[in-house]
Amino acid sequence: MLVFTRKRDEAIMIGDGIEIRVLRVGRDGVRIGVQAPASVSVHRREVYDQIRDENRIAAAAVNAAGNVAAEVRKRLERPAPPVAATGTDR
Amino acid sequence: MTTAQMSPAASRPSRQLETPFGTFPIDDASVIDFADGLPGFEQTRKFVLLSSPELAPLHLLHYADGPAASFLAVDPRVVLPSYRTDLGAGDRLRLGATDDHQLLWLALVTMDAGQGPSVNLRAPIVVNPARMLGCQVMPHNSLYPLRHPLALPE
Repeated sequence: MLVFTRKRDEAIMIGDGIEIRVLRVGRDGVRIGVQAPASVSVHRREVYDQIRDENRIAAAAVNAAGNVAAEVRKRLERPAPPVAATGTDR
Repeated sequence: MTTAQMSPAASRPSRQLETPFGTFPIDDASVIDFADGLPGFEQTRKFVLLSSPELAPLHLLHYADGPAASFLAVDPRVVLPSYRTDLGAGDRLRLGATDDHQLLWLALVTMDAGQGPSVNLRAPIVVNPARMLGCQVMPHNSLYPLRHPLALPE
């Protein structure tokens, strides 16, 4: 990992489009500004990790739970739709 | 909604996709491109959205080329009618979206042992059917939970 020492208002560049700037240094944290093209998604690491973990659990749910659809339907108080169409309705 | 409605023109003959909920015919035109994959599934970028009467109101978001990844998903407004999440400029760019009204919103369903089903309202999947592009959006200021429990009716 590259390590830089930066003071307040100093920045680093990643490629030619991403700038990471130290806005404020406090006792408990550092305030950082990120300027990046709209095509680059920027997230707090722990939020990304949470969503990643949740996605993995959700993917496992497909195989683990026998009749999730029926359970969801019951909880949403939705009656099953009439069985007029089958498969992919093609 | 079905794969057929989302993709009137087939560019390749239909093929069969095996899923835990049966076999579905799909073709190239029904494939949704997730350029970044999904967090945790960064390399799976081609998905199809499948529907069937047994699944309703859920849909199955399934990897187009095999069993690598599949998710149960539901329109978040079915779960929470007031649900509303704003898209950022980057999300619109990724989706090629000009008109938000045409976008399809899906919340992934989780079934955790002992807790019953819940839906991820924090990071919904958004699909632009006009361009067949999709992404999972992670709004910075969302107040919706990762696990919105589906309570049994009283």
